[in-house]
Amino acid sequence: MTWDWSYVLQILPELMVGVCYTVLVTLASSAIALTGGLLLAILESVSTKFGRAFVRFWLELARGVPALVLLYFAFYVLPEVGVTLPAMPIGIGVLGIVYAAYSSEVYRGSLITIPAELRDACVALNLSPYVTWQRVLVPLMIKRSAPALLNYVLGLFRHTAVLFAIGIPVLMGEAMVAADQSFRYLEPFTLAGVIYLGMNLPFLYLLSRFKVKYA
Amino acid sequence: MLSSAQCSPSGPSEAAAAAATNATEAAGSAAKSQQAMWSIEFEKVSKSFGAHRVLVDVDLHVRPGEKVTLIGPSGSGKTTVLRLAMTLAKPTSGDIRVFGESIIFDSAGKPLSNSQEARIRRRCGMVFQQFNLFPHLTVLQNLILAPTTVLRQSREQAEKSALEYLRMVDLEDKVHAYPAQLSGGQQQRIAIARALILKPEILLLDEITSALDPELAGEVLDVVRGVAHELKVTLLIVTHEMRFAREVSDRIVVFDAGRIIEQGSPEKIFTNPESERTRAFLQSVLNH
Repeated sequence: MTWDWSYVLQILPELMVGVCYTVLVTLASSAIALTGGLLLAILESVSTKFGRAFVRFWLELARGVPALVLLYFAFYVLPEVGVTLPAMPIGIGVLGIVYAAYSSEVYRGSLITIPAELRDACVALNLSPYVTWQRVLVPLMIKRSAPALLNYVLGLFRHTAVLFAIGIPVLMGEAMVAADQSFRYLEPFTLAGVIYLGMNLPFLYLLSRFKVKYA
Repeated sequence: MLSSAQCSPSGPSEAAAAAATNATEAAGSAAKSQQAMWSIEFEKVSKSFGAHRVLVDVDLHVRPGEKVTLIGPSGSGKTTVLRLAMTLAKPTSGDIRVFGESIIFDSAGKPLSNSQEARIRRRCGMVFQQFNLFPHLTVLQNLILAPTTVLRQSREQAEKSALEYLRMVDLEDKVHAYPAQLSGGQQQRIAIARALILKPEILLLDEITSALDPELAGEVLDVVRGVAHELKVTLLIVTHEMRFAREVSDRIVVFDAGRIIEQGSPEKIFTNPESERTRAFLQSVLNH
């Protein structure tokens, strides 16, 4: 087993395409996860008992079933009932929904830690429920949740690797294709690992900044 | 620091405009309200939390412009009275009226809708023990949030008004500071300005110096003295600062175990209380 630099240079452009897809999927899924999670947390907080049970059921479903099962279900089973979607929206959607469920729990936790006295102040100032959420509760929820949410975005970024299973050319998918074509596994998977690790670094930097500022 | 003479944040024209706005918005009730003999009325109000009775058949009537201080041992129901008046809690039984309008029931005896409740609540303001400033907003943003969203003032108008109130509490240099950058006394003065900027006719002050050391408490009490002297606002105060209560109040109401056990002028309550319980309470507080 020897390291072949010429082979590395040959597969690097393909892996870079994979990086682009990985970044695209991470950004799109994160947008769904962070906003969806926030909406779910708000919905659960303002709902009736029945509404809360409904939200909780879907949260547990999204958190309890492996993402790969959901991906296969959406990719292979939905077409059988007449719903056929391209792989990319399915991949983005499934990861977005799964991580929205996780994010929702983070937002819910931060909502609980907001002192009840601040809500009293909103009532005393006669702020409407909409203004209370928009200007007071949501900004505080986001601020308090940010470090934990950044961790989930990091997890989502790594989790994009499973999308190669439905043919999306993310970094892991491109590495797999290169390895299958050449029967050389050392360089593609080592490079994929190094690139994933390298792309983690900006997130880790941001997290450390948060800790310095708010810890 | 604020002097009584300084405590007039808005000119007559602005005060008149605010009064006019209130009058327009409360058109249906204005005539009734103007004739109301009482700014706040508690009629046989009781409040229970489970089996624990916090207030028992409380009758309390406060005149417009009157400064009333509620005193009594901790857990005697004083804060609950303010929370009920601010609609932060609902009584278990009885009725509460603000300028003649029930804040519990409509004219048909049904519970008030949220909008009806909000309209009446607009006449009240409240300052809390823990300040309750919004920590993610600057001082200015804390002050203009309600005027721009509730009174629908323009940002410019709200900022102008905010600066006047900040000048009143002697904190205009803190306009861009965040609450965490201020001392407790400064935060409480901002909280008072935030309540006053909505020009409430009734101001509820809930142990506003309890979280402060004596020096910072002094700054806050100076502001309240100014408000009490200069603004024609009904004050309902809960405090353990007996000297302040005696100085600023028109009437003292003594609570014990959820009931009013005695009320009267500060002179009478502090020098010649009728109730043995009042005497014991005052002795324990004043000798502390």
